[in-house]
Amino acid sequence: MESMHSFLFWVIAGLTGLCAIATVVTDNIVRAATWLLFTLGGVSGIFFLLGADLVGAIQLLVYVGGTLVLVIFGVMLTAQSPFLNMKTSSAEWAISIAVGIMLLTFLCFAVFSIKGKFGPADAQHPVAQDVRRGDAADSDAATSTSTMQIGQAFLGVENGPPRGDGKRVHYLLPFEIVSIHLLVVLIGAAYLARAKKRRETML
Amino acid sequence: MSGAILLEHYLVLGALLFVCGAVCMATKRNAIGVLIGVELVLNGAGVNFVAFSHFNPAFRLEGMIFALFVIVLAAGEAAVALAIVLNFYNNHTTVDVDSAEELKG
Amino acid sequence: MQFIQDNPGLLFVIATLLPLVSFTLLLLAGAARGVLRQHQQNPTLKSLYELLGGDVTGRGPAYVGLASMVLAFGLSFYGFVLYLGDYPVHLHHSTTDEEKLPAKVEVAEKKEGEEEHHGAGKNPQAELRKKHRLEGWEGSVSWARLSFFDEAGTAAAPGSELRVGYYIDHLSALMFVMVTFVASLIHLFSTGYMADELNKQVEDHEVHAADGHYKRRGRFGRFFMFLSLFCFSMLNLLLADNLFQIFVSWELVGICSFLLIGFYYERTSASNAANKAFIVNRIGDAGFLIGLMILWTYLGTFNFQDIFQQVRAPALDAHDESIALAGTFVRFHDVEMPNRREPTKPLAGMKIDQKAGPNVLLFHADDHIHGDKLKDGVTGTARSAVGHERAPSIPYVWLVVAGLGIFLGCVGKSAQFPLQVWLPDAMEGPTPVSALIHAATMVAAGVYLVGRVFPIFTFDALLVIAYVGAITLFVAATIAVVVTDIKKVLAYSTVSQLGYMMLALGIGGWAAGLFHLMTHAFFKALLFLGSGSVIYGCHHQQDMQKMGGLFPKMKITALTMLVGVFAIAGIPLFSGWYSKDAVLANALSFFTLHREHFLLFVLPLVTAGITTFYMFRMWFMTFTGEPRDDHVYEHAHESPWIMTVPLILLAILSFCVAWGWPIYKADHSWLEHAIAASQPAAVENNWQVQIDAHAQHGANHGSYKDMVHESHAMAGYLALGVVLIGLAFAASSYLFRFLDPAESKEAFPGVHRFLQHKWYFDELYSVLIVRPGLVIAHWCRAFDTYVIDGIVNRVGSANLAVSRWHGWVDKYLVDGAVNLVGNVTLAVGLWLRNLQTGYLRSYVLFLVLASIGIWAVLALVVAAAP
Repeated sequence: MESMHSFLFWVIAGLTGLCAIATVVTDNIVRAATWLLFTLGGVSGIFFLLGADLVGAIQLLVYVGGTLVLVIFGVMLTAQSPFLNMKTSSAEWAISIAVGIMLLTFLCFAVFSIKGKFGPADAQHPVAQDVRRGDAADSDAATSTSTMQIGQAFLGVENGPPRGDGKRVHYLLPFEIVSIHLLVVLIGAAYLARAKKRRETML
Repeated sequence: MSGAILLEHYLVLGALLFVCGAVCMATKRNAIGVLIGVELVLNGAGVNFVAFSHFNPAFRLEGMIFALFVIVLAAGEAAVALAIVLNFYNNHTTVDVDSAEELKG
Repeated sequence: MQFIQDNPGLLFVIATLLPLVSFTLLLLAGAARGVLRQHQQNPTLKSLYELLGGDVTGRGPAYVGLASMVLAFGLSFYGFVLYLGDYPVHLHHSTTDEEKLPAKVEVAEKKEGEEEHHGAGKNPQAELRKKHRLEGWEGSVSWARLSFFDEAGTAAAPGSELRVGYYIDHLSALMFVMVTFVASLIHLFSTGYMADELNKQVEDHEVHAADGHYKRRGRFGRFFMFLSLFCFSMLNLLLADNLFQIFVSWELVGICSFLLIGFYYERTSASNAANKAFIVNRIGDAGFLIGLMILWTYLGTFNFQDIFQQVRAPALDAHDESIALAGTFVRFHDVEMPNRREPTKPLAGMKIDQKAGPNVLLFHADDHIHGDKLKDGVTGTARSAVGHERAPSIPYVWLVVAGLGIFLGCVGKSAQFPLQVWLPDAMEGPTPVSALIHAATMVAAGVYLVGRVFPIFTFDALLVIAYVGAITLFVAATIAVVVTDIKKVLAYSTVSQLGYMMLALGIGGWAAGLFHLMTHAFFKALLFLGSGSVIYGCHHQQDMQKMGGLFPKMKITALTMLVGVFAIAGIPLFSGWYSKDAVLANALSFFTLHREHFLLFVLPLVTAGITTFYMFRMWFMTFTGEPRDDHVYEHAHESPWIMTVPLILLAILSFCVAWGWPIYKADHSWLEHAIAASQPAAVENNWQVQIDAHAQHGANHGSYKDMVHESHAMAGYLALGVVLIGLAFAASSYLFRFLDPAESKEAFPGVHRFLQHKWYFDELYSVLIVRPGLVIAHWCRAFDTYVIDGIVNRVGSANLAVSRWHGWVDKYLVDGAVNLVGNVTLAVGLWLRNLQTGYLRSYVLFLVLASIGIWAVLALVVAAAP
């Protein structure tokens, strides 16, 4: 079971990483959007692998189904042949890749320096150690309840056992704020994007 | 292929997505390309959130909820950004971000 | 023969003196020719003149020099084989049976005990040392006595006698073989390269006289005379068993470099470069002299072994029990000794404090040492600790200053930051000289000396050494990226590689640093001679922008140089790979113990990639692509065999000199193990102290060897990755033309200009030192002219001078300061304005860079926190 988990991780993560790199490398914006589609799908696969079924599903629905379609609309609305393939100069490529490699190096340094904080060393969290090894049975059991827990947490009516520190988590207020936010976005986007007469005398 | 998959593996994947997004933002001259870069960065963050929620039971709920917020806000962000791009296109008749340099010092 | 068998060290002494004989012969012959040339009307003298070669000497001087070097090489090699017979090198250090012992005991039991002397004389190390003496691998004679009597009136008092001697260990024997071998090949190469000088009249195309080019007599003999003196100085430096002898050779090396860099002294640039090299080296030598004076004052000897034995605590005490502070500096507070001017005053009470004690206890051979009184925090008297009332000591600060002073000498000689400016200018000399300076002699001397006197360096001094090395290697490598003169690329790469060696020594990677010195000598000699061959083949064209596509024309030169490039870049299985990996492994181990010094690992790692980039850039620009200058290309030709044979020999050695078994393991190099066999015990003691200190924070790293062994794989992979990135950049810029170098240049004009001006070091020194010096000189002259003459002549002119001076102050200082403030503000404003590009994408890059910066600062803060 564990080897299956590893195998799936390497396959999905590898594909996701490659698609992400392809997104960056391609000059054609339509192809970039297509590679992005695969990348987002791969990330949702990672979410499923991590036992976060709801998040994965939402990722597929909202991101792959919604956001990406928006992006593709954008491509279609602005698609004129000179903009499809805009070349970046090689010097800019060089400097960007160099800075990117630096950032990746530093991030990896950071990642490997958390050893000991989440590692198997914390004996007071035997559960964490199990999960850390990707124990599939345990994570399945955990997620089957987590969808309901998430919903309850959003509504603030959680009735399960309290968290380790005795507190209950409530996300009603952030949930409402996000809702309002989305409404504002909806109106704002409609306002900004609505067809209007082009101002000929710009600048 | 040997060995258990640890938290570090997911974090490295997230970092890779993040860096890809940053490089994408820095190299794409097309405004939509920049938007794609932003999506990659947000996804990198999302992977980190869910990975932490998975590997630390104390954050099980928080990690997922934050990932959800990230996804939803990304959707809103994409809508607004797209509107801005369309507006920009109307005004400049191009989507080349290099032509938007009015803020130059 | 029996005498040699009894005193095999004398083989090396003879090898040292051979070049001196050759020098003397050439000097006498040259002087005689000079005198006889004036008296040619006398038939006897004229025939004598003809006998000595007449107007055209022929290749005689070259054969004399070459013969002396080849013979010296033979003797050194024979001596090295004999030495290996007495002290074999074990390739696989058997960690299995050693690691069962506690770490402390393991250090005490080390067999490299030649550096240590243990008072009682009944332990194995003392026996070994006695045997060592008997077998004749070291010896010395009295050279000068400053006073004849000590208190008893029998023997010379300490600090009253200068001796000249020799001391052979694995390091000096290997260096002998390397130096004589490389020097022999350089002699052979020069025989071809300097052939122009054989003519009776040589036309110097770079000097313009009234009637066209400057014409002069050929200087073939003089060149080989200087070369011989150079080799003698270097060999004497390797041979020496004391600092005084090293100092003498040191100065001889300096004067030889002056003579050879200024070989074409009619050229203004060459004579300026020679002056610059000499003057910059004087700055370093001033520091060296200060270090020597401190050591002589407090220790009373220049002999290395005596110095080390005095400053470092012995491993065993008088009762054959191990001492807790073995191999370290014993620092103490002297409770009842207010007068520090007399270092040998009785120490009535002393408290040992390894962290902050202001004095360092000195040990002598006849001390009766009690180990239980030599522990951190113990209070006692000198008598209870070392059995003497009058135990001498040296203030810790002076020890640091002495170490830094000697290191300053090495900074000058090995062209380290901030005295690196002379080496690139030294390219004015003939190319074989550059090869000799860069590979085997002058710059190697500095690194060799740091390795030799390693035990007297305190941890603070070592840290300075490491940072100087790290800064040097990075600065030089970045400059090399934009240089287009083929010899200057190599010059900066030398500076950079020397930085690696200094860094390795500074962080305690003793064997790694000197190992890199060895491998570097071979591949850098190869690269320089290769560039000499290219320059010779292109008729003294040195600018790479006029080369290109030369591969079909000079295949041997191109392929041998490619081997050199592979070696310096650290491609696996080439010699540079083993040594650079060793340096990086040590740096990684050091970084593991001292997180706050992360620069000492990051800089060499990044620079490994830069090195690959610029070396491949040089090769691609010279040998591949389209010819850039038809004239140069048409006339290019391969050099004669006398120049290609040394290239081939050096290429073979650059490839395989560092091999061990199995060859694909970077830390199994035979050469490195041979060098490590003479490693002073202080190296491992230093590491053990640091590891123990680190272990108090809860980390367990085992012994130093385990730690470096563990770091090797990680450092190797990182280095290989960086090297591949550098190679990819070089290939895509200069081979496949995927990235256009000109475009990159235009993209960063500021960076490019900054690097082309060599980080503005020359300009900085000009502003900071040269111009103030000139101003002071002008003031002195003005003082002389206006004040003294004015007083003598008339008071009025003095008054005038003062008014002029005042006017000068007003014009340049007062107005200048006001203008400076305004200009600086304006310049900063204009510069900051450039950052506001208005481009979205550059803002993203700034954002990423800023976050990396913040992360680095945070990491530094966290690492520095206790």
